[in-house]
Amino acid sequence: MINVADLISESNIPGNYFAPNTYLQGDFESGLIENRQGGRLLALPETLIRGLYSGLFAELGSATGLVLYNCGRKWGKNFFRRFSEEVGSYYRQPVATMEMIELVQCLKQCWKAHGWGIIEPNFDHYQQGFLVVEITNSGFVNEITAAEQPSCFIEAGLLSAFFSELAETDLHCVQTTCESLGASSNLFILGLKKRLESVSVMVEKGQTHTAILQSLTAN
Amino acid sequence: MITEIDSLIYQAEAEYLAQKDLGIFKSQILYLSERLKIYEQIRDQETEIFQHVINQIVNNFPDEPESKVKRAVKRWMMILRYCSMAMLANDSQYLEQRILEWLPEQIAAQHMQDLEQNLYGYLYKRLKKSLENEQFSVLQPYLEQSKNVLLNPKAALKPA
Repeated sequence: MINVADLISESNIPGNYFAPNTYLQGDFESGLIENRQGGRLLALPETLIRGLYSGLFAELGSATGLVLYNCGRKWGKNFFRRFSEEVGSYYRQPVATMEMIELVQCLKQCWKAHGWGIIEPNFDHYQQGFLVVEITNSGFVNEITAAEQPSCFIEAGLLSAFFSELAETDLHCVQTTCESLGASSNLFILGLKKRLESVSVMVEKGQTHTAILQSLTAN
Repeated sequence: MITEIDSLIYQAEAEYLAQKDLGIFKSQILYLSERLKIYEQIRDQETEIFQHVINQIVNNFPDEPESKVKRAVKRWMMILRYCSMAMLANDSQYLEQRILEWLPEQIAAQHMQDLEQNLYGYLYKRLKKSLENEQFSVLQPYLEQSKNVLLNPKAALKPA
């Protein structure tokens, strides 16, 4: 027999931690924005992002992507730590023991609440060792014009670090389509670095995401 | 209610509120006390309401695994709690942001929709019986808003 009283005490699970009107809090007097646990947030104006990209490109040329990717990696590691702490303490459950669907929901809502766009991880090719992530309305590429190659370097690094921490395996991430190149969304493929070696070349040759994924999963 | 009062407060920045507007203010305060009563009633009857729902499920669907029933009941305990607060605050956005953008994919991924559809039916009927007609009509929009989003398979496929 199911005991209602027990269920009631177990049902005190809260809803969406990242609901934007609660998650983001600002203090006009001090000019600070914080999340609901008091963690400081930084607002990045588009001008700054644009300046960052063009400044780095002027200094580093073609190495810009690699530098930004590594910045993303570093950010991703810290992001995962903070994300796990916040989500784990709010839902009173370590992230490692959460169901994948709940964790993915948290990530999606977190991404949206921070204004980074809409993220949609796709686990269809999980068995073959690949994870596809789609991001629409990225907050990081809007202002880049005349790009020749996919340019969500920071996000690629961030995703790589986030999912590496989650999977406890070092995963690499390659972007295959980009909003800055006129695509409707940014698509990323994550997997072991060795298995993604051919992807960058295929992207440079202008192959489509579907073709790239097919060639990866056919092997 | 909170939003209606908010807009009156903005309006009062430029001028004294007219009798008609004050009437709205007054009626909102009356609604608030009504809504508080409904909220308290649901809170105090939670055990009884859900015991009834569980009995119905166990009797009509004896083959459903207990763990699945427990999970569904716990989820709807949470949804009713959020519906009650949204009703009290007269704020459907509260419900939308905290729950309705949050749960559909989880329900769909766990293949719980059929069970939850039935659970919702029992819960709806029980609440209708537990509350007076007028009280139920205040809560009803929030229940239906939840049902339309959470138990509609098409909505669950839509990206959040």
